[in-house]
Amino acid sequence: MTDIPAPIRVVLAKVGLDGHDRGIKIVARALRDAGMQVIYAGLWQTPEAVVRTVADEDAGWLGLSILSGAHMTLVPRVLQLLRDAGIEHVGILVGGIIPETDIPTLLEMGVARVFGPGTSLPEIVAFLQERDRGAAAAGRGGHA
Amino acid sequence: MLDPLLERFRNHDRNALSRLVSLVARGERSDQILEKLGRPARPARVVALTGSGGVGKSTLTGKLIEQVRERGLTVGVLACDPQSPLTGGALLGDRFRMPSRPDDDGVFIRSLATAGGRGAVAEHLDALIRLLEAYGFEVILIETVGAGQGDTAVRGLVDVLVLLLQPETGDDLQWEKAGLLEVADAIVIHKADLPGAERVEAQVLATQALSMAPPVPVLRVSARTGAGLAELWSAIAALPLRRGNNAGAGDLVGLAQALLAERFAAARRGGDADLALLLDRWQRGELDARTAAAELLQRLARHS
Repeated sequence: MTDIPAPIRVVLAKVGLDGHDRGIKIVARALRDAGMQVIYAGLWQTPEAVVRTVADEDAGWLGLSILSGAHMTLVPRVLQLLRDAGIEHVGILVGGIIPETDIPTLLEMGVARVFGPGTSLPEIVAFLQERDRGAAAAGRGGHA
Repeated sequence: MLDPLLERFRNHDRNALSRLVSLVARGERSDQILEKLGRPARPARVVALTGSGGVGKSTLTGKLIEQVRERGLTVGVLACDPQSPLTGGALLGDRFRMPSRPDDDGVFIRSLATAGGRGAVAEHLDALIRLLEAYGFEVILIETVGAGQGDTAVRGLVDVLVLLLQPETGDDLQWEKAGLLEVADAIVIHKADLPGAERVEAQVLATQALSMAPPVPVLRVSARTGAGLAELWSAIAALPLRRGNNAGAGDLVGLAQALLAERFAAARRGGDADLALLLDRWQRGELDARTAAAELLQRLARHS
């Protein structure tokens, strides 16, 4: 039964002391409506808790929403903890208020894509679906 | 591909457990996986929480995790949430209400999308329970999707079925209709810090007094204040492990039905030509429904 496409599983989380969860909830809803399984981890997560969630949920993607300006501290921390946990296959998305000048650095660190203000929901959905299809075609299972 | 994964699983590799849970939850090679895992070293205590949406199943599950860990037991949690019947998508938000320490290897929480239809049970739940048991979890907590009415399929799979009620939800006739009171092994009056909890408790006790079945523990619990949590776990721990021994014949029929439904879905996805032909003949009216169903049963019985 290997021909059944595995559902795209996405963990969405907010790390650090940032209480703005309107955006991430809207993204969660859009991904669900696009047929994905969204694990909503919610507000005020530590990087450690997020990585544990990604591990236990066997997610293919992790979306971090950061509007506090702490992304250059929190994102590398999450990436390092993922590597420490032996999780290499998870694609990382970052959303929120991220200055243009930080985006190249984040991508270089291993973030798959940064979605800033004004991003349309279909854009996020299409990105995940395309990357997922690409991974499946390359025989790498359900995710990038 | 599978064998290295199973080897890592046996060596207590959490990522391997997580990946195997995904495979089994999708019904991929689960028979093969379970066969290779063999019997667990010791049986886990499998506890399911059910009740209508908003009654506090996730929150109480989170509190029970604490109770179990305080007693030095390890726990695997399967949290079921509904799946959209239209897109297959799901918003799984239960673990949000189950805070646990990220460095605690004694807790594993997995969110499961549950398809609609009969039984507030994720597909392949029985296989998932066996997987967590084989990993060595001593307690397995299952949060059902929260059907509330007429949904008792999970009972046959677990040792203890806990029904959650809360103040101000319908009258006692509602529970009679639902048929949940008679299958529950323990009844929790949740949110017991709210007014009306005593009244609900009195109604449940009165209903029990009229029933022929032996009474089950009824406890007032509040996840918010912590009242009754330790008592609840003690009551759960005192109940016998029901799985495998005295399950009713009805439970077995229910499981057989679920198995048939799985085989049917698998055969359809797999493009079974004979099955397609049978369905076609029925749809064109060459076979009446009863004959077609009997033939279908024969076909599916040969799959394994």
